[in-house]
Amino acid sequence: MYRTAAKRLLCSARQFNGNAALRFRRHNALITYSRFSTTEINQPFSNPHSIHDAIPISTTEIENPTLYDSTSSSTSSSSTTDEDSHRFESPKSKTKYEDEHARLLSASLVHVMKLGWTETALMAGAKDVGLSPSIVGSLSRKEAALVEFYMDDCLQRLIDKIDTDGSLKNLTPSDCISKLIRFRLEIQAPYISTWPQAPSTQAQPVNVPTSFKQRAMLVDEIWHAAGDNASDLDWYAKRTVLGGIYSTTEIYMLTDGSADFRDTWAFLDARVKDAFDLKKTIQEAQYLAEAVSTGLGNTFEEFVGKVFRR
Amino acid sequence: MALGIVTKRLGNKLFPALSSTSRLLHSHATSFGFKHVNEEEKARMVGDVFTSVAKNYDTMNDLMSAGLHRLWKERLVSMLNPFPGMKHLDVAGGTGDVAFRILDNINRVKQRGLQDGFNDALEAKTQIYVCDINPNMLNVGKQRAAEKGYGEDGSLVWVEGNAESLSFQDDSMDGYTIAFGIRNVTHIEKVLSEAHRVLKHGGRFLCLELSHVSLPIFKELYDLYSFSVIPRIGEMVAGDRESYQYLVESIRRFPPQEKFASMIADAGFQKVEYENLVGGVVAIHSGIKI
Repeated sequence: MYRTAAKRLLCSARQFNGNAALRFRRHNALITYSRFSTTEINQPFSNPHSIHDAIPISTTEIENPTLYDSTSSSTSSSSTTDEDSHRFESPKSKTKYEDEHARLLSASLVHVMKLGWTETALMAGAKDVGLSPSIVGSLSRKEAALVEFYMDDCLQRLIDKIDTDGSLKNLTPSDCISKLIRFRLEIQAPYISTWPQAPSTQAQPVNVPTSFKQRAMLVDEIWHAAGDNASDLDWYAKRTVLGGIYSTTEIYMLTDGSADFRDTWAFLDARVKDAFDLKKTIQEAQYLAEAVSTGLGNTFEEFVGKVFRR
Repeated sequence: MALGIVTKRLGNKLFPALSSTSRLLHSHATSFGFKHVNEEEKARMVGDVFTSVAKNYDTMNDLMSAGLHRLWKERLVSMLNPFPGMKHLDVAGGTGDVAFRILDNINRVKQRGLQDGFNDALEAKTQIYVCDINPNMLNVGKQRAAEKGYGEDGSLVWVEGNAESLSFQDDSMDGYTIAFGIRNVTHIEKVLSEAHRVLKHGGRFLCLELSHVSLPIFKELYDLYSFSVIPRIGEMVAGDRESYQYLVESIRRFPPQEKFASMIADAGFQKVEYENLVGGVVAIHSGIKI
């Protein structure tokens, strides 16, 4: 679906397109810049902490109103390219509301631990970045936007880990999957006290399309990292099973009181092992069924033959 | 209720439809319903209308909209998403409907126990400013507030003023609403730019107004209702056919949803959207000041 033919860069860009209202942020502290080969206007404001020439993300500097280029323009629709042309024509560009939303959401994450995934956290975040709390009213599906933003952030971190960690290739698929799920769940460990709110917000019917898509991307990433190149019916089965493992482990983690979530990882390993055993079992059952049907078929043919020869 | 939401983005239109916009605005400034008047006179004539309807304003609203106007105002307030400690300005808010609803909403929110997050904000007092150019409308509002017990803690402030030149400071308001008022102003763009001026960074602008219906059969029915029924009700209940004739004519003369949205964007607002209620009879336009 997302990764079969495309390279990682295109994949990331498409993710941005899908989440039109949200913007990726790489690790809360870094402010990244995107540079395009076309034009760079008025760079005196710019203060790039790190420049990613490939991934089209941009956010604004907190202090200065910086010039920035439109995000997701590599796979953007015509409306955003119109904006680009507007911006290039005007010498001083204005901060866009999506960037303000992104700033707001990332500032609010800090408050989530105390206040939960709620509007209150969003309003506290707004005050932190100097915005009027009224802006929370303009976010569609407020708390869900915060949760989705966080999920995207976690996914991004997972992708980074996959990119940078070379040791994954040497592991068997089941170990690789275990490790990645564990890594992903460890990212959200700090929020564990308020975590139950997040999946329940995402489970609301209004929010299900986005959360389903995010979950699908996550599962896809993990399987791809584990070296899966299938593109048949098996593809769906694998992702469904992994989705199931991930969800159950996440829920187990909510009630796990052991140090460093040791019990959760044990649970995870057991589930992954089960899934792979199940796969073998299914394969064997398939062979058995084939053998039986062949045998039956032969018997039936002979029988019919005998009947008609009579 | 039909929902039609369109997002408009802020653009520095290099070749703005200035010619058509300015013509439209000029015609708005010199139109009193379907009559043509001088700019200077329009404000006075509108003032006369509202002085005369002030007493029956709320009753007439109920009759003309079959009580729906309450739902529209509720929708406006829920879109605003008020919070305790907010500084809000309701312009053309005369009889106080929107302001009262905002206060109700905030008090409900407080009861839900958002206090823990808001300890410092509660010290910042909620202030709703109701601004209207017409003192008669304000008086009706103050009376209603006293009857219902709103604003006893000083959270309601009644201000007589002109939407085209507000007496409030720059960047002082979290929210700005104008319900069924912008149709009556002389210079729409001045009102919009004043709104932009007084709002804080991140503040929201919301406008509830009677707007244009484009659904085929419904439009005819609505026109029939507007031009035949409403002035009659005005005559019978308020004894003032002329004012209600002005009302329905001024609705037709007001720019349609898309046009108005682009005017809001021109004033500097971002994420300009509108939502049609009842197929376009009423539209809520919103924007953020960034």
